[in-house]
Amino acid sequence: MNGPLIVQSDKTLLLEVDHERADDCRRAIAPFAELERAPEHIHTYRVTPLGLWNARAAGHDAEQVVDALVQYSRYPVPHALLVDIADTMDRYGRLTLSKHPAHGLVLTTTDRPVLEEILRSKRIAPLVGARIDPDTVVVHPSERGQIKQTLLKLGWPAEDLAGYVDGEAHPIELAEDGWALRPYQKQAVENFWHGGSGVVVLPCGAGKTLVGAGSMAQAKSTTLILVTNTVSARQWKHELVKRTSLTEDEIGEYSGTRKEIRPVTIATYQVLTTKRKGIYAHLELFDSRDWGLIVYDEVHLLPAPVFKFTADLQARRRLGLTATLVREDGRESDVFSLIGPKRFDAPWKEIEAQGYIAPADCVEVRVNLTESERLAYATAETEEKYRYCATTDTKRKVTEAIVRRFAGQQILVIGQYIDQLDELGEHLNAPVIKGETSNAQREKLFDAFREGEISVLVVSKVANFSVDLPEATVAVQVSGTFGSRQEEAQRLGRVLRPKADGHQAHFYSVVARDTIDQDFAAHRQRFLAEQGYAYRIMDADELLAEG
Amino acid sequence: MSSPAPSPRSLAEALRGRDDASLAVLLRARPDLITPVPTDLTQLATRAGTRASAVRALERLDRFALQTAEALAVAADPASYDELLGLMTGDEGDPAVAAALPRAVATLRDQALVWGDDDRMRLVRTARELLAPSPQHPSPTGLGPTVAEATSGMSPGRIQDIVTTAGLPSTHDSVSAVDALSALFRDRRRMAKLLAEVPEESREVLSRLVWGPPYGQITPDPAPHLRRLLNRGLLLPATPGTVALPREVALHLRDGRAHRTVEPVPPTVEAAGTHRPQVVDATAAGQAYTALATVEELLKDWDEGGPAVLRAGGLSVRDLKRTAVALDVSEPVAAFWVELAYAAGLLASDGEADERYAATPAYDEWLEQPAAQRWARLAAVWLHATRTSGVVGGRDAKERTLSALGPGLDRSAAPEVRHRVLTLLAGLPQGTSPSADSVLARLRWERPLRGPQQQGDDLRGRLARWTLTEAELLGVTGRGALSAHGRALLGAPAPKPPEEEPRGPGDKLPVHHVPVPVEPLAPIEQATASAAAARLLTPLLPEPLDHVLLQADLTAVAPGPLERPLADMLGVLADIESKGGATVYRFTPGSVRRALDAGRSASDLHAFLAAHSRTPVPQPLAYLIDDVARKHGHLRVGAASAYVRCDDDALLNEILADKRSAGLGLRRLAPTVLAAQTDPAALLEGLRAMGFAPAAESAEGDVLITRTHAHRTPPRTAPEPVPEGPPVPDATLLAAAIRAVRAGDRASTAPLKPTTAPATAGELPRTTPAETLATMQAAVLTGEALWIGYVNAEGAASQRVITPIRVEGGFVTAYDHTADEVRTYPLHRVTGVAELADD
Repeated sequence: MNGPLIVQSDKTLLLEVDHERADDCRRAIAPFAELERAPEHIHTYRVTPLGLWNARAAGHDAEQVVDALVQYSRYPVPHALLVDIADTMDRYGRLTLSKHPAHGLVLTTTDRPVLEEILRSKRIAPLVGARIDPDTVVVHPSERGQIKQTLLKLGWPAEDLAGYVDGEAHPIELAEDGWALRPYQKQAVENFWHGGSGVVVLPCGAGKTLVGAGSMAQAKSTTLILVTNTVSARQWKHELVKRTSLTEDEIGEYSGTRKEIRPVTIATYQVLTTKRKGIYAHLELFDSRDWGLIVYDEVHLLPAPVFKFTADLQARRRLGLTATLVREDGRESDVFSLIGPKRFDAPWKEIEAQGYIAPADCVEVRVNLTESERLAYATAETEEKYRYCATTDTKRKVTEAIVRRFAGQQILVIGQYIDQLDELGEHLNAPVIKGETSNAQREKLFDAFREGEISVLVVSKVANFSVDLPEATVAVQVSGTFGSRQEEAQRLGRVLRPKADGHQAHFYSVVARDTIDQDFAAHRQRFLAEQGYAYRIMDADELLAEG
Repeated sequence: MSSPAPSPRSLAEALRGRDDASLAVLLRARPDLITPVPTDLTQLATRAGTRASAVRALERLDRFALQTAEALAVAADPASYDELLGLMTGDEGDPAVAAALPRAVATLRDQALVWGDDDRMRLVRTARELLAPSPQHPSPTGLGPTVAEATSGMSPGRIQDIVTTAGLPSTHDSVSAVDALSALFRDRRRMAKLLAEVPEESREVLSRLVWGPPYGQITPDPAPHLRRLLNRGLLLPATPGTVALPREVALHLRDGRAHRTVEPVPPTVEAAGTHRPQVVDATAAGQAYTALATVEELLKDWDEGGPAVLRAGGLSVRDLKRTAVALDVSEPVAAFWVELAYAAGLLASDGEADERYAATPAYDEWLEQPAAQRWARLAAVWLHATRTSGVVGGRDAKERTLSALGPGLDRSAAPEVRHRVLTLLAGLPQGTSPSADSVLARLRWERPLRGPQQQGDDLRGRLARWTLTEAELLGVTGRGALSAHGRALLGAPAPKPPEEEPRGPGDKLPVHHVPVPVEPLAPIEQATASAAAARLLTPLLPEPLDHVLLQADLTAVAPGPLERPLADMLGVLADIESKGGATVYRFTPGSVRRALDAGRSASDLHAFLAAHSRTPVPQPLAYLIDDVARKHGHLRVGAASAYVRCDDDALLNEILADKRSAGLGLRRLAPTVLAAQTDPAALLEGLRAMGFAPAAESAEGDVLITRTHAHRTPPRTAPEPVPEGPPVPDATLLAAAIRAVRAGDRASTAPLKPTTAPATAGELPRTTPAETLATMQAAVLTGEALWIGYVNAEGAASQRVITPIRVEGGFVTAYDHTADEVRTYPLHRVTGVAELADD
C-alpha cells in the first residue's frame, strides 16, 4: 500500500506525479478519469459518470477501473465508491441503438426493466415507435440524436451501433512531403476512426487541424468542417491545401461573405446560427451534399443551436476537435451524446515534454491604480468597473516596458477594449487588429507578422481563435473577457506553437491590483496553474525598475 | 429427563424433578420468570404457564424448535416422542429431521414449554392454545380441527350417518362413534380404501385443502362430489357455508407430516465474495479512520453553536439535512454519525434556555486518546446501543416523526441483533463477506416471526440490514467481511481459526449446540475486547504526517492524515476542498485573512509553510500572503457608545486630564475626537457635572434640540366587547351533554344489592382490590352486570354499569352499559364494585 494515487471521497483522484509508479498509474486511470488540474506535484483527476461511460465506450470494463484504483491507491478505496463505479459503468450499454434489417433504427436492451423504465418516461415516448419484441423498440430515424441526448439525461446512455452512411466518396490523401503526422496525431486519428464518432482533445498548437486532415484522408468522402470564424476558415483551407491532395477548387467557404458548397466545405458557426425571420436560413447546407464526415472545430465553443442541428446528423461520422472539454455552460453531456465520447486526450504538459509545443513562462504583473483612478473605480457603476481598472494608464507603461525588454522578438499584445488597444498601438507604433479590420487587411498584417516584417501586433479578441502565428514568442494580455478560462487557454495557445529556435515563450498578464481585474485574473490563472504552468506574480514597480 | 420416578403429573412436578443446572438454563432463557422471584416451584410453573410468558418464550425459539412445538400442538395431548417424530418426518422419515429433533425437544423441555417424559410429552396449556389451529388463528401447519372438535356441535343422528357411510358399524353413543371415525382416519390402510371409494373429482377437492387453509366454502346445496365427502366425514361442516378438512384426514393425505417443509438445520450464511484478509483489514481501517474524522468534523462543525433542540427533543429535519451536507453524506448516514456521537456521550444538549446541541467535556477527553482507542470506544458503544439511527425519519405509533437525537429511537433488540449478525460474520472464514440475504434468512430461522406480522414490520430484519451497513461505515467490516479488529471487538477471536475448518464458507453446525446463545459481552469483558481491538487496529491506521505539498495553483495537498496542530493551523489558513485519504486545502485571500485575524503575522505564516512543506513555497502563494497581510488591519473597527467631538483639541486634553472623566471610559481616537464607553445621556450628564456645556448631536451631525414630548405606546387594537354569559352551545354539544348526564344518572340510580355494597347512592362503591378482582372474575362466568366506581386518568370519578367479558393482565374488558360499547378498564382505577340488585 504505497501507491501514487489517493482516492478522495468526492470522487477525485490525487496522483502524486513524483512517485515512481506515477506514469503507469496515469495510463491506467486516464481512460476513465478526467484530468482536472495538473499543477506541479499532485494532479487531480475526477471520476464522473461521463468519464466512466467514455471508458465503457472505449471498451474498458468496471473490473479494469476498479483494479486500477485498487492497485495504485495508497489508502484503501472506500467500498461504496467501488460499488458506485461498477453501478455507473453498468448503466452504459444496457441500451443499444442499432440497425434492424426490417425495422430500421431500433433500440434494444439487454435488461428489460431498463427498457420499461425509459419507455415510461414522457420524454422518450414521442421518440419511439412500435415495440417489436419485449426487448426491442423502433426509434424514428430522425430522433437518433434526440433519443441519445434524452437517455443520457435519464442516466441510461445508449451505445450507438447503428453505423454511419458512407457519404459521397471523394478522394483525399495526406500529402506527407517532408513532414508526417506526429505519433499522437496518428493515434488520435486511429482512435477516432475506430470509434466511429467522437471528440479528440489536444492542446492548442498541438496540430488539431492535422488530426482533422488525417481523419478526412481516412474517410475519403465529402466533408463539412464547422469552424468558429472566417479567419479560422481560411486557415483551415490554407492548411488543407498544403497538407492534403485537395486543391483550392475542391474546398469551399460558407460564411457571411461567400456561400460556396464544394466537396469539402468549411462553414462558420456564425453563419449557421444566423436567423432570418425566425428561422435558421442556412440549414440546407447540411442537406446540400451527402456528407461523409463532419468536423467540429473548437467543440467547447459549439453554440447551442448547432447541437440541435447535430442531433439530426447522427448517421454521419462526426469528429470534434477541442483543447478542453470544459464548457463554461456545462453542456459537456450534449457533446458526449451528440458528437460522441472522448476518443483521444493528451495533457498539455505531456505534449510539451515531447517538444511539440513551446514551454512558457507565465507572469502576472500587478499594477497599482493611481489615487484618482482608485476613486473613479470606487464610484464607477458595477458594469463599468472592469473597464475602469482594466484600462488604467499604468498598464500602458508596463506594456511598453515589456515590449522594450523583448525588443526583436515577435510580440502580441492582446486586449479587450478598443480604445485601450488603439492607444497602445499608437504608443508602441504597432498596427491594431480589431473587429472593424477587414479580413484582407487582417491576413495582410498576419502575413507581415509571420514574415517578421512587423514584430509587434496589437489584437483584440477577434484574434482569440485559430489564428496561426507561429513566430509569436511573447504575449502580453492587458485585458480579457472577464474570467473566461477558455480565453486564457486560447491566448496561451498563441505563444505555445513550436518556435523555430526552440526558445522559451513568455506570457504576461497585466492586472490592476485590488480590483475585480485581479479577481478575474486569479480565476483565469487558476486554470493555467492547474494546467501545470507555474506563474509568477510581479509588482509593476519591480518590472519597471528592471526594464 | 429419564428419571426413574413415575411420569410427572404437572409442569410444577416436572420442574421439581429437574436439577439446579437445568433450572438455571430455564431461568437464563426466560428471565421474566424470576422478576420478581417466585416463592416456590408451583408459582414458577404457574408463571411459566401465563400467556405473556409463554408468548415471549415461543418468540425466542428457532424455526425448527417452533415447528416442533407446532407439531406437538396438533398432536394428541400427551403425545409420545414417536408420534412427534412421525409428525415431523412423515411416513417416509427424514434422517436430518430425526437427527435434529432430540435437540429441539430438549430445547422445549429446557424452556419449560414441554414437560413429561418421552412417552407422555405435554406442551404447556397456554403454548398449546397459542399454537393449536383455530378458525381465528390458523396454524402455520395449515391443519384444521380434529374430527372430535369438528363434530362437537353435531347431532348424534348425523354422526351415526357419517359413521355408517364411512363403512363403520353404528355405535350407541356419539363419543364412541367419533372415536371410531378418528381411528379410521388415522389408519393409513383403511383410509386409502375409503378414499378410493370417492371419485377423482372429490379427491381433487381434498388435495386443495391439504396444505391449508383447511376451510372451504360450500353452497347450501353442495355438488354430488362434495356431498360424498361430507357424507363420509372427510369434510366436516365448520360454520354455516364453510367446511373444514379434519386434521386426521389432512395428516393422512400429507403422509403424516405436520409441516410441508421442515427446516431442521439453519440456513447457511453464504459467501458473497472473498477478499484477502489484509485488504479487508486495510479497508476497514481506512473506514475506521474516516469514522473518526467524520465524528470530529461533525462536532467541530457544531463547535460554534450547534443546532437547536426541538421542543419534543431531537434534531430538526432541516438541521439533519444541513449536517448531512456539511459531512457530505446522505441523511441516514448523517443520522447514524450524530446518534453514534450521542450514544458515546460526545455530544448532548447544553441545557440552556434556548437548548442547543454541543460537544461534551467527554469529547475533549476522547480527542486526547490515540486514534485506535477512540475508534474502539465508538465501536463498543455502537455494539451495545439500543438507540437505532435507522428508524430516524420513520413514524412512531402515534404518527409522530422520529427525529435524530429525539425520543423513541430505542429498539431493545438492537444490541442482540448486532451481536448476532457480527457473530455470524465471525463464523465465516477470514476475508469472506456474506450475502445480506443469507444473513437475514439465517436470522429469520433463528427467530421466526409468528403470525400475521410475517411480512409487515420485520424489525429484526431491518436491524440486521442496518447492522451490515453501519458495521461497514464504522470500519468493523471491510468490503463486507469482518475485520480482525472487528473480530476482536466481539471478544470472539473464533475458537478455531476459521481457515482450519475444512467445511468452507458457512457454518453447518446447528446454532443451539451451546444451550445459551452467545450473549453480547458484559461491560468488563467488552473493555478487554475493545482494548484488544484497538491494539490490532493501531498499526493499520495511517501515521499522521507532518508535511504537506504546496502547489502553484494555491492548493496544499496533505497526502494523508496530518498531525493535529498542523491540521488545525491549516484548517484556519486554508479552506478544505476535498477530503478522503488525503486532504486538499485551498488558499484564498479570505482564508489567509482568517489566519491573520487569528493573530498570526505574515512572517509566522511564511515560516509555518516553509517548515511544513516538502517543496519550496510557490511564489504566488507567498505573494498572496504578503498581499493580504499588506491590507490586513488597515481599517480598524471598534465599538463606542458615544463620542465627544470638539474643534479645540486643547479642550479635549483638558477633559482627558480631568480625574472626574475616568468613569466615562473616554479614549482619544483623533486629535479632535474622543470615544466613550458610556451612553450619550450619561456622557452629557458627566460632562455637565464637570462644568462643560456639551450639546447632543444627532446621527446626521445636527445639534439635537431636546424638547419634552408626549409618551406613546406602540400601535394597539381597541379591546373587543365582552358579552354577558357564555355563548349559546350548538346542537352537537347539547346532545353530548345530555347523553353524559343520562348515563351518569343511570349509573347512580341503578338498584344495588344492599349486602355487598354498603355505599349509598351517589357515592362510589369501595371494595378491596382482591374483592374487586374476585367479583369481576365471578361476573365473567355468570355474565352479570356490575356497578363500578371508576377514576379516569384525569382523576375524575364516575360510576358505570358494566358486564365484564374478560379479566386479564390487570385489565377488565367489559360491555359498558353507560357508554353503550365494549371498553377496557385498568383494574387499579376501579375504586370498587357492587353487584346490581336483581330487577
